[in-house]
Amino acid sequence: MTAPTVTTTPAPQGAGSPQRSWGDRAAKLWHRMTTPSTLPLMGTLVTLILMLVIGQMRYSTERRDFVSIKLFSNLFVDNSYLLVLAVGMTFVILTGGIDLSVGAVVALVGLVIATLLPTGLPLVIVLPLAVGIGSLFGFMIGVMVHYFSIQPFIASLAAMFLARGLANVVSVQSVGIDHDGFSALAGWSLKFGEGRDIWKINSSMLVAVAVLAVAYLLLHHTRFGRTVYGVGVGDRGNAIQLMGLNAGRTTLWVYVISGTCAGISGVLFAFYTKSGFNLTGIGMELDAIAAVVIGGTVLTGGAGYVLGTFLGVTVYGLIQVMIAREGLDSWWTKVFIGVVLLAFVLLQRAIARKKVR
Amino acid sequence: MSHPSGHAPVVEMTGITIEFPGVKALDSVSFRLFPGEVHALMGENGAGKSTLIKALTGVYQIAAGTVNIDGKAVRITGTDAAQKAGISTVYQEVNLCGNLSVAENIMLGHEPRFGPFISWRALKAQAATFLARLHLDIDPSSKLSEHSIAVQQLCAIARSTVVQAKVLILDEPTSSLQQAEVDELFAVIRELRDQGVAILFVSHFLDQIYEISDRITVLRNGSFIGEYMVSDLPRLQLIEKMIGRSGAELEKIDKTSERRDPQQDATPIYQAAGLGKFGKVENVDITVHPGEIVGLAGLLGSGRTETARLMAGVDRPEHGETSLRGKPTPINDPKTALKNNIVYSSEDRKKEGIIGDLTVRENIALALQSLRGVWRPIPKAELDTIVERYLTALRIYPANPNMLIRNLSGGNQQKVLLARWLATQPELLILDEPTRGIDIGAKADIQRLVVEQAREGMGFVFISSEFEEVLRVSDRVLIFKDRVITDDLDNAEHTLTSTDILHAIAALTDAKPRDAAQPATHATVTKEHNA
Repeated sequence: MTAPTVTTTPAPQGAGSPQRSWGDRAAKLWHRMTTPSTLPLMGTLVTLILMLVIGQMRYSTERRDFVSIKLFSNLFVDNSYLLVLAVGMTFVILTGGIDLSVGAVVALVGLVIATLLPTGLPLVIVLPLAVGIGSLFGFMIGVMVHYFSIQPFIASLAAMFLARGLANVVSVQSVGIDHDGFSALAGWSLKFGEGRDIWKINSSMLVAVAVLAVAYLLLHHTRFGRTVYGVGVGDRGNAIQLMGLNAGRTTLWVYVISGTCAGISGVLFAFYTKSGFNLTGIGMELDAIAAVVIGGTVLTGGAGYVLGTFLGVTVYGLIQVMIAREGLDSWWTKVFIGVVLLAFVLLQRAIARKKVR
Repeated sequence: MSHPSGHAPVVEMTGITIEFPGVKALDSVSFRLFPGEVHALMGENGAGKSTLIKALTGVYQIAAGTVNIDGKAVRITGTDAAQKAGISTVYQEVNLCGNLSVAENIMLGHEPRFGPFISWRALKAQAATFLARLHLDIDPSSKLSEHSIAVQQLCAIARSTVVQAKVLILDEPTSSLQQAEVDELFAVIRELRDQGVAILFVSHFLDQIYEISDRITVLRNGSFIGEYMVSDLPRLQLIEKMIGRSGAELEKIDKTSERRDPQQDATPIYQAAGLGKFGKVENVDITVHPGEIVGLAGLLGSGRTETARLMAGVDRPEHGETSLRGKPTPINDPKTALKNNIVYSSEDRKKEGIIGDLTVRENIALALQSLRGVWRPIPKAELDTIVERYLTALRIYPANPNMLIRNLSGGNQQKVLLARWLATQPELLILDEPTRGIDIGAKADIQRLVVEQAREGMGFVFISSEFEEVLRVSDRVLIFKDRVITDDLDNAEHTLTSTDILHAIAALTDAKPRDAAQPATHATVTKEHNA
């Protein structure tokens, strides 16, 4: 029996030939940017730019601009854990699922680190173990969703209670992390600039950017990634299955990825707070979902970009910064997130309607 | 019977039995497929064609029986296993991902890669060559969902040729294609056949079967009836074997063309003047009298379906006047239409017709219940009577009201939908492609039913891509061309022929496609279907 082979044939004329004019390219780029699938992303970008312009006008002083590298540096020092969480969530939402467990997993991971480090276990064991806890929770949800056909909402809700409960078992009090290696890793940063303009790149940011890059490659340049998009439409993965691709395994992996990201995010959050606390991350999963949706990923699955999620987290962070600059109570952040989220969901709805017509 | 070329069969299925809850879908069916032949699998809807195909492609697990591929017994555990064994399939409904590009849909699973990473440039180039083989001139990077169902179907076929398969299965590949596209497809099929590929072809178009196939296997009610060379089996005999009834009964289909009396002088049930919606149809005037069947004919995308949707309020008309029984009544939503006894059966059975996870009984009850409102549930006994009546009258098989409708075959699903609308006792029933993808027996049943109901005074709007069918049932045929009605042909004596319709359509047809902005799939025909 001969194995089926792929016929390779030379490229046809026209496709990808280099002698295309720049005008053509610009037109094509414009067309691509304004298709229904990219419009939400453009919406996010426009919102972001608008916010930056407003910020620049309101908060700049004679000596310093509001929009500066320092702004973004601070923003990502504060939100790198959220970015990692949201990237994982993007995978899940692209398949039309949801993962509610990630906030609780962040709390559990933080407490596990805080409890294990004083026992003398080396950092190189504790951190991978902590991330592994996240993967395990993701795997559990994936198995429930794939093999037992339980709705992702319920499956991850169960996992959320389990993780939150276990966190309470570990400790009901905040446990500080006092460990030299850990502190060194958490505090490491590259500093740039001088005086008040000093800005830095810390370890959390590097990790978050690495996660983002891997996610981008995975989603847009591998068969697995394209399958993730495929599972999000077409009869709950039926189409993908009939195409001879493995929809079930993809579903499982998506939750493992989200869980792993939650694990990493837990480590980053521990870096950030230098402690573990059982009430950490209540509602954090919803922040992640909000960032993903603001970033243009459609909740029903099948459409969105992981780089959009990056923009979504930036918008989220920027709202926080601007609320702080206005001197408003931090709860106002939630109000504005709500408003922005509502606007984006309505935008998605409008686009979907237009598509149907 | 051995194959003339003396080859051994590439696929040999023996004693295949498949059971679903409540029904034995296949009962000890045998099937052989030889290299270099086109083998037609024939049978009515519900005969088990799709089930047999899905057994071979690993979608369904086999309860009993053996599958040999190249003389070796194999167990096909899943769709990927089937593909590895060299079996490539195009399913009846388009089963691709609308959110991915055309190129991805064609190549996914076989994409060219550098290490783990997809090489996009090579992928697009390869996809373009596969499209070119089907003479499909569309941008491989465009989204699949931007294209019409026919183009999507062609993309599915292009996908199936990516793997150099030993066996190519085409389940109703032509149901949404125009003639020119069918010709392209057949050219590809012949090319593959000459290369020694075994092709399993399912179609309800008899002409196509006799044009392309070498051998026919007939199934009926999940059982194997026989395997024949095409040359040994005249059409009439084939149909008799498929439906298990004699030819005399088939004649009845033509008897439906008996003269009826549309009450032309009575007040029209429905009258529209200047009905239209931007980008859909313009200035449509339609009148339907009691007992009249008005056929709408035209190419895909000519405005037939769009008109039907405006009439039933599914899409809101932007201008035009409608009056019902002489009284001006605007119809802006389906509920108003339903309350005024106008119902519409969509062409998209899967998405706008059945609710797959409900039972046959519940599907029938839907429209009636919505007519009565949430607070007045239909008494069980009453519903039982209604369901029972339609199961018998429409010959729905299996006649089990508690079966999930998605487990029924296409033709039977369509009959259930008809039952749903008839149960509301409408005065005007708009049928959009009620017989698409269903077999001759069910088709005859549906046509007969339409004529019978018309005789009792119900008005019909009948849309079908098959002109013969429109002619057989209609008293009057409206010709659509480029989103306007161009002609109104009287067919009261059933004297019109398909040629007349073709001439009527061609009368105003330019040589070139009108709407150049749409990606034309073929030089002679543009269509845009999934707007």
